[in-house]
Amino acid sequence: MAMRDIVTGGASCAVPGSSSSSNPIGALANTLLGSSSKTQERLKELPGASSVTAQDRPLYPEIDTSLASLPGFEYDQQHQHQQQFQHPNAAGSQFLQSFRSGDQGGFAEAWNETQHPQVGPHAHAQPHFAEFDSIYDNGVASQINQPTFDGPPQRVLSNYLHSFVTSSHGGIPFRPMPLPVLGLSEGDKQCIRDRSSIMARHMFADKSEDFINSQVNTLLHSLEIDNEFRAKGSVPGQYRELEGYWNESQGNLIPGGPHVTDGWVTEYNQNVAARGNPESWAHSFEQQHGANGWASEFEQEQSQMTSMGLSRGVNIPNLAAMEQTRMLAHTLAQNEDPKFQNSKFLQFVSKMSRGELIIDDNQLKSAGASGNWAEEYQHQYIGAPSSWADQFARDELSRGTDGWVNEFTAEQEQHGTVDDQWVNEFSKLRVDDWADEFEHQVGEGALGDNWASSYDEFLNEQVVKQRSDTSRGVYVFSDVNPYVGHPNPLKEGQELFRKGLLSEAVLALEAEVLKNPDNSEGWRLLGITHAENDDDQQAIASMMRAQEVDPTNLEVLLALGVSHTNELEQAAALKYLYSWLQHHPKYGTLAPPEQINSLYYADVARLFNEAAQISPEDADVHIVLGVLYNLSREYDKAIASFETALKLKPRDYSLWNKLGATQANSVQSADAILAYQQALDLKPNYVRAWANMGISYANQGLYEDSIRYYVRALAMNPKADNAWQYLRISLSCASRNDMMEACDSRNLDVLQKEFPL
Amino acid sequence: MASTSTLKSAALLDQMKLHLASDAGKELSKKINFVYQFNISPKKIGIEEEIFTVDLKKGEVIKGACEGKPDATFSFKDEDFVKVATGKMNPQMAFMRGAMKIKGSLSAAQKFTPDIFPKPSKM
Repeated sequence: MAMRDIVTGGASCAVPGSSSSSNPIGALANTLLGSSSKTQERLKELPGASSVTAQDRPLYPEIDTSLASLPGFEYDQQHQHQQQFQHPNAAGSQFLQSFRSGDQGGFAEAWNETQHPQVGPHAHAQPHFAEFDSIYDNGVASQINQPTFDGPPQRVLSNYLHSFVTSSHGGIPFRPMPLPVLGLSEGDKQCIRDRSSIMARHMFADKSEDFINSQVNTLLHSLEIDNEFRAKGSVPGQYRELEGYWNESQGNLIPGGPHVTDGWVTEYNQNVAARGNPESWAHSFEQQHGANGWASEFEQEQSQMTSMGLSRGVNIPNLAAMEQTRMLAHTLAQNEDPKFQNSKFLQFVSKMSRGELIIDDNQLKSAGASGNWAEEYQHQYIGAPSSWADQFARDELSRGTDGWVNEFTAEQEQHGTVDDQWVNEFSKLRVDDWADEFEHQVGEGALGDNWASSYDEFLNEQVVKQRSDTSRGVYVFSDVNPYVGHPNPLKEGQELFRKGLLSEAVLALEAEVLKNPDNSEGWRLLGITHAENDDDQQAIASMMRAQEVDPTNLEVLLALGVSHTNELEQAAALKYLYSWLQHHPKYGTLAPPEQINSLYYADVARLFNEAAQISPEDADVHIVLGVLYNLSREYDKAIASFETALKLKPRDYSLWNKLGATQANSVQSADAILAYQQALDLKPNYVRAWANMGISYANQGLYEDSIRYYVRALAMNPKADNAWQYLRISLSCASRNDMMEACDSRNLDVLQKEFPL
Repeated sequence: MASTSTLKSAALLDQMKLHLASDAGKELSKKINFVYQFNISPKKIGIEEEIFTVDLKKGEVIKGACEGKPDATFSFKDEDFVKVATGKMNPQMAFMRGAMKIKGSLSAAQKFTPDIFPKPSKM
């Protein structure tokens, strides 16, 4: 019931029978229904509501009956309560209620507005809908209850929204349908959009994010509500108000107090005033985009979203361009005011959801529109970096009036040499991890859910300059690279790597792959260097590029298997180790290619054991076996495999480190330290081994010692984030809080002086 | 396999199990002396939870709920648990962001910090 009210903005369809049930859900319904009818009474006394003319009043009962008499109503009600209100609490119901109560004034106003003579009928509305039909018509012929849409606009809207709610029962895609012109004001549209996105997440809690988005989008498009609207930030002020309102209602409110509704009515009136004529907005929108323009753009964007994985691959040769695009997008996001406002709103939503038991953690955090904004952001970031200029030009044409484009244009004019300026701006702003975070979330498919929380993270942590650990698969280049323009950066990189100057080698190799993005050797060595420099994320990103160029390179496949094992990503690690076997000239026949998508650890381990029997003298097979046993946490077997391999390859420093790490993970720290020492004797600048030394000491409770090793590792690679985090923990365990500030500000001089090795 | 779970957290907790048997681990149990329960979900808190008990009284890690009542119960997403256990995110921040939910004694919960976990070494 309450949920319906939110959607329809319905004037309290109080059905006494429904609230008599004795379960907690029923009790909640009682609370909600009771308070809502009180609210309605109060509303009638309000200035905003009293402006409703006498002829409008009878409409409310009319809607009540129309809603109640719709088929499926009873079921609908129970169903929703079961899904949504499992943990009722007062704050939640108050919030819902306040949404609803605000709405009543709003709809009354909206109804008034529609009574005014309409400036021009939306003659082109029909083709608009036809197009959406074609987009969304997946051949679902049976819509359970298809209400008819006639009568006064408010009633039509109620029915329509009701059918949206009904669509939740079977998980049937909600079908768009032509509606008469409803004359919704901007404020109404916004209300509907916000609520429907939130609601949809509750109603379709068991469905995928895509499904929810498409449901909401269908609804909104049929109502001619621009789902991207918020992203363009035409009414930034509202969210601030909303937030204020929320705080107020959290703090000192008696449930349903009259000033709540006052607030809404005032706010609504302000919006009406600020907006001027809502119809003109709709008109100008359509003029800009054409009747179908928006629809096709939306469609295009959707298809691009789905093929994003592909486009990422295509873009590898354009990495440099992509980096610039990313920075461009960064700055847009950073400077652009309305979006920031949106984010504030999201923050508010996320706070709300965290403060509440009733709304399950991630569900409410972001509404559909914000997801779409992120989508768009993502689209621009990953989308077509090489054609950024084109796209920008196109955007400027089609969205000429949008503030951010103008702002961007203005900014572009100010800065002659765009690229350098952006770079500078970025290093100042310290928002490096932003785009990555988005990237990661899109990858997870949990974009909408995580948006708000990651925004929090961004706000809280932008001071701490740390490269995000979430840059999965996207290589992050250094801002300033002296090796760009070097005649032979690969040779230089190989030389530096050989000398053990890993951080320098990284720069030279980055220059190489910027110059020759198809050089798999460049990428491979870059990946190895990052791994030795204790940065598995970057190692994985480079190795993935290497693998794209040269999919059968065994060293690359093994390195990917190792790095994913380090990151505890079992499925990915297993896949690469299996590919290693598949592409091995000698053992390839052991591995049937069709298995790659349904790998079982036991099968893979068996195959490698077979391989080891075929050629017991092949150190590589034993190495892979050792990694596999690490994956399954059978450390004794892993140690045995690595020891066998070391007999065959005693001077492989990375092998000594693998042995040490395995011993450390199986709590044989004393042995581990000996193995690391072997590795460091062979390669003194092996950052990973130094960091591992620190870990082993720390795990034995020898924190002072561990600090010295961490500091040593960091002196060689100040970008090793893991080591910084571990250093911090060791400092705290060793009660060296006096050095905490040096650690947080990454002041290596102080730390090295205090903790010499 | 030592554990059938595919969670990253399970890998860390397996290591914890070994760690608690070591001298440093026994020290730790003596110092903390609480029983923690962890409900870890692959994607979303509360959905498809796997339960682990870290008994820092007896020095054990058990798959499944403990007998009797834990001093504190934490709910995490797999990813977030790993972040907290490896020091990438501090527990207060995790709690404030809703990435960690706590039930039980607050004083017990406050002793839950990254330093109780052994750090994984890297190959």
